[in-house]
Amino acid sequence: MLYLIGLGLGDETDITVKGLEIVRRASRVYLESYTAILLVDVAVLEKYYGREVVVADREMVESASDDILNDAQNVDVAFLVVGDPFGATTHTDLVLRARSLSIPIKTIPNASIMSAIGSTGLQLYNFGQTISMVFFTDSWKPASFYDRVRENRNIGLHTLVLLDIKVKEQSVENIMRGRKIFEPPRYMTVGQCCSQMLEIEEIKKAEGEGGAYDEESLAVGAARVGGVSEKFVSGTLKQLCEADEALGGPLHSLVLLGRKTHELESDYVRAFAVDTEVWDRIWKRDYEGKS
Amino acid sequence: MVNFTVEEVRQLMNKPTNVRNMSVIAHVDHGKSTLTDSLLSKAGIISAAKAGDARATDTRADEQERGITIKSTAISLYGNLTDPEDIKDIVGQKTDGGDFLINLIDSPGHVDFSSEVTAALRVTDGALVVVDTIEGVCVQTETVLRQALGERIKPVVIINKVDRALLELQVEKEDLYQSFSRTIESVNVIISTYFDKSLGDVQVYPYKGTVAFGSGLHGWAFTVRQFAVRYAKKFGVDRNKMMERLWGDNYFNPHTKKWTTKGTHEGKTLERAFNQFILDPIFRIFAAVMNFKKDEIPTLLEKLNIKLSADDKEKEGKQLLKVVMRTFLPAADALLEMLILHLPSPVTAQKYRAETLYEGPPDDEACIGIRDCDPKAPLMLYVSKMVPTSDKGRFYAFGRVFAGTVKSGLKVRIQGPNYTPGKKDDLFIKAIQRTVLMMGGKVDPIDDVPAGNILGLVGIDQFLLKSGTLTTSETAHNLKVMKFSVSPVVQRSVEVKNAQDLPKLVEGLKRLSKSDPCVLTSISESGEHIVAGAGELHLEICLKDLEEDHAGVPLRISDPVVSYRETVSAKSRMTALSKSPNKHNRIYMIAEPLDEEVSKDIESGKIGPRDDFKARARVLADDHGWDVTDARKIWCFGPDTNGTNLLVDQTKAVQYLQEIKDSVVSGFQWATREGPIAEEPMRSIRFNIMDVTLHADSIHRGTGQVMPTTRRVLYAATLLAEPGLLEPVFLVEIQVPESAMGGVYGVLTRRRGHVFNEEQRPGTPLFTIKAYLPVMESFGFNADLRSHTSGQAFPQSVFDHWQILPGGSPIDSTSKVGQVVQEMRKRKGLKIEVPGYENYYDKL
Repeated sequence: MLYLIGLGLGDETDITVKGLEIVRRASRVYLESYTAILLVDVAVLEKYYGREVVVADREMVESASDDILNDAQNVDVAFLVVGDPFGATTHTDLVLRARSLSIPIKTIPNASIMSAIGSTGLQLYNFGQTISMVFFTDSWKPASFYDRVRENRNIGLHTLVLLDIKVKEQSVENIMRGRKIFEPPRYMTVGQCCSQMLEIEEIKKAEGEGGAYDEESLAVGAARVGGVSEKFVSGTLKQLCEADEALGGPLHSLVLLGRKTHELESDYVRAFAVDTEVWDRIWKRDYEGKS
Repeated sequence: MVNFTVEEVRQLMNKPTNVRNMSVIAHVDHGKSTLTDSLLSKAGIISAAKAGDARATDTRADEQERGITIKSTAISLYGNLTDPEDIKDIVGQKTDGGDFLINLIDSPGHVDFSSEVTAALRVTDGALVVVDTIEGVCVQTETVLRQALGERIKPVVIINKVDRALLELQVEKEDLYQSFSRTIESVNVIISTYFDKSLGDVQVYPYKGTVAFGSGLHGWAFTVRQFAVRYAKKFGVDRNKMMERLWGDNYFNPHTKKWTTKGTHEGKTLERAFNQFILDPIFRIFAAVMNFKKDEIPTLLEKLNIKLSADDKEKEGKQLLKVVMRTFLPAADALLEMLILHLPSPVTAQKYRAETLYEGPPDDEACIGIRDCDPKAPLMLYVSKMVPTSDKGRFYAFGRVFAGTVKSGLKVRIQGPNYTPGKKDDLFIKAIQRTVLMMGGKVDPIDDVPAGNILGLVGIDQFLLKSGTLTTSETAHNLKVMKFSVSPVVQRSVEVKNAQDLPKLVEGLKRLSKSDPCVLTSISESGEHIVAGAGELHLEICLKDLEEDHAGVPLRISDPVVSYRETVSAKSRMTALSKSPNKHNRIYMIAEPLDEEVSKDIESGKIGPRDDFKARARVLADDHGWDVTDARKIWCFGPDTNGTNLLVDQTKAVQYLQEIKDSVVSGFQWATREGPIAEEPMRSIRFNIMDVTLHADSIHRGTGQVMPTTRRVLYAATLLAEPGLLEPVFLVEIQVPESAMGGVYGVLTRRRGHVFNEEQRPGTPLFTIKAYLPVMESFGFNADLRSHTSGQAFPQSVFDHWQILPGGSPIDSTSKVGQVVQEMRKRKGLKIEVPGYENYYDKL
């Protein structure tokens, strides 16, 4: 049996009791480590579970899945995923491959950023399509997220923005040379994300297609959601460009508010504001009572 | 030599109308360097401080040993026209006074070093083409002339070694005239083939003064103009009219005392004016001196107004002949006059060269500066090659100022060949440490150099690999990258004898790569260090330099091997499909052969990645039958962004395709550089992207996902399209006497050679054989040929084209080609068997 087990978002103790029991008795345990990270080290997990955990990087999951699935028809294999196995990151491909090998599959759900983001006080019912923001390079600035944001904003919904993490990424040259040399890990911050969003807005405006949001659009930055040191900061996109210090270390996420915001939501989020006066002014002008 | 201070030279530079930048080009052994020497002894500039030193042309020891030029060398000459009548004859361009600065670059004639010629041509506006009277126009004459015309460089011609025709072949006057006439005709055929409207008609004619005749070895030369000037006074006619009469079917009828174009008078043949007035005195001198007719000589000398010193009068035979001819018709005078009168100044030349030199739009400040040769415009300087300094490992950047003025300490943008305006790749902003004048092997510091002149720069060598553009304008595009007529098709691997010398080898390879425009150095997958050159000789010289100079450590050098190209001979038999590692992205691709004509046009630079895409599409549609829509959707050229493989987008309405373009292009560059068969570069393949499906979110379609997938799908498409291996083929030109021709044919046949032309040089027993010879079979060819013809055959090999290596498919390990592939894979440390397409193909 292949078990896909969600680990939740915080530390080693977020695993469900059911999940923990499976981990303890499984023949092999893998930890998927490239789409998200836990706020604690693998060693801490191993100690808590009382067993060895194999770290599976992108390379292993995508290219060497046979090792993971080996003999899973007969023995139990646990595949640990930070958050929920079918949350922000889906491992449908692994499941499909297991299916084709007639391996039975079971999923143990857990909290995902997709649900935990509710702790910002914004109602999950009011969220539109989730997007992710990648690290821009000089020549690569994918702007396709912009259309998605526009669609969400047009019908007044919030947009959850997941931020890129680069753990064990090879540089282009190293991919070509086939060298397993990895760049130092990088995690995008709310500040970077906001300035990239504003950069694209500038470009779109110049092309006459702007207007999905602007410097004064309200948003909430979230750090380490579900962890002990969880932290939120709210303000305009421009203000959030400078909010990295207040938010602290990785991982970060961002929610861009939709105009159909309930008063309760506002009262809740207002408490995180960088500057409540600014927040109130813009709130009154652009959000209050709009549907 | 003329003693000049740097200040005086600098003064001359201020008048670009009186500057001539020129190269001397020719087939090997037609006597360029000897001819240059005769110019140098008369007009070479050495600075006063250096006067009395050894010769200004400080040549390499191996150049003297082998008697050939390997590196091009720049020398400045001083010329002046004292007669105001002469200055009037400079037609079509302005002149300011009678003093001229001539920057001359002597370039190698051996085909293996053609890249040096290319680098020389770029910085000059005119060329002196040297042709041997006896051998006539040879393969390299044609190659360099074609290159010169491609760069919009105006040629003048000197027919050299006339003394041999007189002394060895003992030809008659009319025969000599006919031989001259034929040679000029063949030069003009080449010139008219590459006719360029902007440059105008640049065919050469003796009666216009653009052809000289002479002997570099004996130090004499003349133009028809010089004789016309002499006779114009005597006959009392206009000298331009006289010039026309002294060539072609013009005769002076002594009976009627009239000029005529008919060759006969009352049944008797008349002597052609050229023979009667020009060749006759020369033949008489030769006859008198060589037949030791001592009594005739003084009268002859007096008649021709030749005054000899007492010492010289004592000489006999050839020695006397040299002195007489040299006094009668000094080579330097004839050549300098021809160069000054007929070659364009930078001011003239840059008007029509600007658009071919510059990559950017014709109306920006940089291009206007070049067009006007304006010393006050933003700096535009092209570095065409690197010249080693006495300080080991450092180089002078050798180049030409096309606009603006360069001076020490000036902060410039150093733009390498891959620079694109607005981006920061391949760009450095640094100050120039020093500017220097290059005089042969010596240098002299100079404060600044204005537009239109040639110079050396200190302190920028570490920022440029081989060549590049320097500018002070932030918006300037690059000056066009040079296209070489030769390619590095022969390679050898090198390793150090003592392991601890490895760092020195690595450093040495870097230096070698810098010092030669054409050599390629690389490290293969298996850690081999590879040096690739244009031919065996080129490689030999490079490796010698590497061992003795650049690295300075003992080396072990492998046998030469050929570099191949991977190609396809059919359309992929099904659409190739590859999925990204996360399986969310799919690319569908088809490979098909690219027309050889298109590949050739890409190689010659007629079609390139930097062309306007609409203009390029027009050319592809009109000349090569492409569909215009397809032609407009060429994503890129590869490998190295300018190779002969094309990636064409044929998808319909794929969302976000532009967002993955960069990753696909990188994957394409990677795959075309190292093909699936043996990791040799691909050539002449057109890849069509048929369809793409992408994950909706950009995080799941980054470079790490798309680039390797692109490579895989390109490999699969190639392997599905009947892959083939291309081998390089030399064009060999062999000069051989009839008696030894059998030997030549024997050797060629044994080496898969294929003779396609055989011609006798009129008036000589020499035959010229032209043949195609696979480079693979060319190793040791020269020695083999020598031993089978008792050393009477002289071959010249130059890379000509690629051809499919016959003998089966490269993926069939039992075929001959398969064997070659396996051998190559073994050498490179790859898995012996070529992986099948299944390795790169993903099922739906």
